[in-house]
Amino acid sequence: MGGPTWVTAVNLVIWTGIFLYLLRLERRVNDLERER
Amino acid sequence: MSSGWTAEAAAVFAKDWRAERRARHAVATLVLFAITTLVIASLALGPIGATPGERSDVASALLWILLLFAAAAGLPRVFVHEEESHTATVLRLAARPSAVFAGKLAWVASLLALLEAVATPLALALFDLPVASPGRLVLALGAGGAGLAAATTLLAAIVAQGRGATTLFAALAFPLLVPLAVLAVAATRAALGGGDAGGVLVQLFLYDSTIMVAGFLLFPVIWAP
Amino acid sequence: MKRPLLWLLWGWMATVIVAAFHWAPLAEGFLGQSSRILFFHVPMAWVSFVAFMVAGVRSLAYLAGRRTERRDQAAAAAIEIGLLFALLATVTGAIWARIMWNSWWNWDPRQASIVVALLFYAAYLALRAAVADREARGRLCAAYATLGLVVAPFFYFVLPRLGFTLHPEAVINAQGKVEVEPRMLVVLLASSAGFTALFFWMHQLRTRLALREARLLEGSD
Repeated sequence: MGGPTWVTAVNLVIWTGIFLYLLRLERRVNDLERER
Repeated sequence: MSSGWTAEAAAVFAKDWRAERRARHAVATLVLFAITTLVIASLALGPIGATPGERSDVASALLWILLLFAAAAGLPRVFVHEEESHTATVLRLAARPSAVFAGKLAWVASLLALLEAVATPLALALFDLPVASPGRLVLALGAGGAGLAAATTLLAAIVAQGRGATTLFAALAFPLLVPLAVLAVAATRAALGGGDAGGVLVQLFLYDSTIMVAGFLLFPVIWAP
Repeated sequence: MKRPLLWLLWGWMATVIVAAFHWAPLAEGFLGQSSRILFFHVPMAWVSFVAFMVAGVRSLAYLAGRRTERRDQAAAAAIEIGLLFALLATVTGAIWARIMWNSWWNWDPRQASIVVALLFYAAYLALRAAVADREARGRLCAAYATLGLVVAPFFYFVLPRLGFTLHPEAVINAQGKVEVEPRMLVVLLASSAGFTALFFWMHQLRTRLALREARLLEGSD
């Protein structure tokens, strides 16, 4: 049944998206702090 | 040392009552609000043939809603007028923070007690309520009132230093007062209808104590600089 | 935070997600696959509590010790993120309530309690916005968050049980004894650990960002 697999895939995509966003934020904050 | 503290607290209390007797602001507002609300509710609910149990349920909830809203309407400015009239500085010099808190707390508590004394008999009459345990009713009103007074005084002190005191007060007060109201309503209901009020009263006392202790500990910081 | 650790976090949570839907068994008494929500709903609620406790501890440190900008911003950041997780927990809870009892909201004691906590900490943000003077703002917000330190445990752990005894309807407190199956417990704990780590990372980022913003504002005076 595609049910759980589909939900899992969606969740993984969402999680990876959040993760990459936070990584980018981390990079930006690092840059800001290095400026000082 | 402690007699000095008591004198300071008593002085704060007396000052506020003196000012109140001159202006008659707070008491009038609160009492008017209480009477109006009870009358309207009684009129609206009258035609609905409710059983004594149902009336007790409704009246208990109504009474505490009334007390909460009256407090939120009439009491946020307890400290604001001190800041505005610049008596705050004098107060900070003349009395210890804990004494100021105690004095203000007593003032708020006495106002609420007065309000309860007016609203409760009126509610009992208008809703034709049975009173299974008068003693427990007094305890419920007292404990609920004390908690309400403590929370109100503490929050009034916080909002006095910000903008938009009354609105901010409502935002801060609601979350803190909801559990108190839930407990107080339950205790009142039990006292009127004859259920088990004991356990609830204990929890009410505990909640009150927590807020009061937190209030005494945090007030000096809030009153501060 | 170190890059390898972060990728480890990604892997950890990815594994949790897969395990939640494919490895963990279903719980008894739940409709269909709906018990799987618990692997996200419970940790998020837990993390929101952790967040509020962090805010309370930082605020207490602020008041009792040195009143640094960092402590003030750390408390505010913790509360912001705590609110986010609390909101997510509420929403996932409502979704699950809808599945189980066909009603999004019925003021079940647990639902009511998390709402009260949400309102309490939302009020913190309102307070923060209302006080202009930086010294006063730090002091008052810290006092409020410290109050939260005692009050939040009451909201999270006492109030839900209180409401239960007051309302006679037989509302099944489904967050009670679910973790009987060892596999479920493992996934639940792993999920909680992952979310907690995620919180600390987000918190660190938010605090650093807030401090930068504050510096910038200062510099532009």
